[in-house]
Amino acid sequence: MPPTSEPHPPGATLTWAGCWRGARAILPVLPPVFVFGIAFGIAARGVGLEGWVAALMSMAVFAGAAQFAVLDLWTSPVPWLPLLVATFAINARHILLGASLRALCQGLSPWKVYGAMTLLSDLNWAALIAAERKGERDLGYLVGGGLLMWATWVSATVIGAVAGGLTLDDVKTYALDLVLVAFFATTLVGLRRGRVDDLPWLVAGLAAMGAVWFLPPNWHVMVGGLAGGVAGLIRDELKRP
Amino acid sequence: MSTTDALLVVCAMALVTYATRAGGIFLVGFVPMSARTENFLRYLAGAVLVALVVPATVRGGPEGYVAVGVAILARLVLRKALPAIALGILAAALWRAYMGAS
Repeated sequence: MPPTSEPHPPGATLTWAGCWRGARAILPVLPPVFVFGIAFGIAARGVGLEGWVAALMSMAVFAGAAQFAVLDLWTSPVPWLPLLVATFAINARHILLGASLRALCQGLSPWKVYGAMTLLSDLNWAALIAAERKGERDLGYLVGGGLLMWATWVSATVIGAVAGGLTLDDVKTYALDLVLVAFFATTLVGLRRGRVDDLPWLVAGLAAMGAVWFLPPNWHVMVGGLAGGVAGLIRDELKRP
Repeated sequence: MSTTDALLVVCAMALVTYATRAGGIFLVGFVPMSARTENFLRYLAGAVLVALVVPATVRGGPEGYVAVGVAILARLVLRKALPAIALGILAAALWRAYMGAS
């Protein structure tokens, strides 16, 4: 490639070095992931899942909120429709996360991109988006963080299913639920570009709260994210001469 | 629930969940690349994060506001995420200890 002033950023990469950087970035949120994993293992045994089924679910699904939600639906006969709708509704936010990673998948082969997406989750996505703002161009960042979270989540599920004694109330007492929120909030600070983000973010927050109050559970990320994105786009279109 | 049913449920959940994970990058491939698309996707990332943080903070009650407020302030001052998160959690824990659990 000639060393001219290229208007577009160069294509993305997927390297071990990127995986390593992503894994390091995710370290602070591993303790809550671990504790929630234990809580899931215990809760799963509580509603009658066998330990190995709970572990298998954590391996294959790797989505905490959805896994907790289906425990409420763990009855015979299987309530297929509510179960699948709940799984989709809670995980639909992944669609927005994935869409926002377009530039970081540019030029990579489909198997790398779709392989990396198996590990897509809020935490490693947030870490990657923040790093992208500082020039990160490696999708391995997502993979490394995701693998570490996956290993933590699965092993914690096994421990919870085998041992016991902790409940979700205990998790709340130790403020671990707040670690995740604080992680997202600090990520947001790094992501802010300036006044240009004020309106979209305000709209996103209001729309998310509106969804919490007026819509069925779990749509707030989807609604808030789309509303904020559209608000920013419309504002820019109107400002255009 | 029988073991067979349980395994079917796990498989179905895994498929639905992966469809959402792969769906974003798949669908966005049909949108022509333009300055407008780039612009929207850039706003989208921040907006999604706001939509994650705001309801979770409100749900956390007073401790949620304390944790997030202190974490954001600390992140602005210290410019480092990890100590900022730690300070936010510490502040929330102190709040809980002195103001009682909400």
